[in-house]
Amino acid sequence: MNQKSIFNFSTLVVVAIGIGAALYGFLGFFGFTVGPATWIKPAVAFLTIFGALFGPVIGFLIGFIGHVITDLMSGGGVWWGWALGSGLIGLFSGFVYLSKGFNVKAGAYAKKHLYQIVAFGFLGCLVGMGEATIFDVLFMGEPLDKMLVQFWGAFLSNIVVVAILGLPIILAILRVNKKSTNLTIEK
Amino acid sequence: MSKMGTLYAPGDSVFHRMDGSIKMLLFAAWTITTFLFLDLRVFIVMLLIGTILLLSAKIPFRQIRILLWVMIVFNVFNTAFIILITPTYGSELTGTNTPVLNIGYNTINLETLFYVLTLTAKYLTLLPVSLLFIFTTHPSKFASSLNRIGVPYKIAYAVNIAFRYIPDIQSEFRGITNSMQMRGIGFRKGDAPFTQRVKNVTSIAIPMLYSSLQRIEVVSNAMELRGFGKHKRRTWYAMEDLRAMDYTVGALCILVTASAIWLKIGVLSGFWYPF
Repeated sequence: MNQKSIFNFSTLVVVAIGIGAALYGFLGFFGFTVGPATWIKPAVAFLTIFGALFGPVIGFLIGFIGHVITDLMSGGGVWWGWALGSGLIGLFSGFVYLSKGFNVKAGAYAKKHLYQIVAFGFLGCLVGMGEATIFDVLFMGEPLDKMLVQFWGAFLSNIVVVAILGLPIILAILRVNKKSTNLTIEK
Repeated sequence: MSKMGTLYAPGDSVFHRMDGSIKMLLFAAWTITTFLFLDLRVFIVMLLIGTILLLSAKIPFRQIRILLWVMIVFNVFNTAFIILITPTYGSELTGTNTPVLNIGYNTINLETLFYVLTLTAKYLTLLPVSLLFIFTTHPSKFASSLNRIGVPYKIAYAVNIAFRYIPDIQSEFRGITNSMQMRGIGFRKGDAPFTQRVKNVTSIAIPMLYSSLQRIEVVSNAMELRGFGKHKRRTWYAMEDLRAMDYTVGALCILVTASAIWLKIGVLSGFWYPF
């Protein structure tokens, strides 16, 4: 955890991807409809959190694998475009992890990191849902105008989840972790 | 749902005996072929083949019924939205315009109706082989199959862990919500005003997260102690040698995909409209 390399696939990383994906995959079943075949998925907040905790590569894999698992378990086929979109949200959420001075485990953060979480979260939703929209237009042959409605539905609901669920939870974890690390060694 | 959290239905058909990696290949080939086209003739042929394959797997219809309904409901809604939002989209594809029904702000035309039919067939075409894959592949064979088709084993193992821990997370979730409800935190409609309920639902996230983080520590320590990740490759308990049938089906998948790409480039490039 201390060494901040993004391609370090230690055992911890393998397990974090697995359990993160299980969590995202399971919680992906909960949500409510906001538009044509589009629903608010509170589970997206966990992508923000796991991204901040473990970095972009793990965030991406949790999003992608988790989404595919949700689709496989609900049985109606895998929506590859939207799964990749989930992955991209996770990827962007992880960029804050690479930022200097930010460490969730140690509760270390500055105000700018909170802005970064929100900014990267929004950017991730934009890129991820944008990708899913383009994917459906290109490969499924859906009309662009109809997909734009879905895009706005998905984009807005996801940024709401990131801002209302993701950020406060990260903040809560940071505060808890900060409290437990303010001890100094006396020499 | 079975113990492993997937929809696996035990049986002894050709597909149950087929290697998981070959089924993944079949699934991929089928998906790619479907993605390529927007042609009703192709989808009708594929739907027929898919249905025959699905029937040969002898999955109890009881289990498929709900999923079939979900797909039909999805298609009905999707169709309705396309017709309402873009009632003349079909004309953009064909260049002709045959009005059918005036809905005030625009007129639905025959081209759009035919387009919607094609799109519905496209979504339905994806279904049989997805079902085949989901219902006949044992989750413990997932990881070895993924590894065999070229996914690094650490990622394949992560997928395996995900499937393994879904039931645990499910029971954890149930435990947390039950204990919160016992303390008077309401989640259902009528328990509390809407904003309060949203807050209450949010409060599940933190204990869920902490228990998961703890689980990550415990499991990774246990795996570390057993020497996970020491070598560049690993063997799998649930892996079997490929048989003649597996090779045949695998080769067929590659052949069909290749000819589908050829067909797409050469013959059936666009949207098929007979009128």
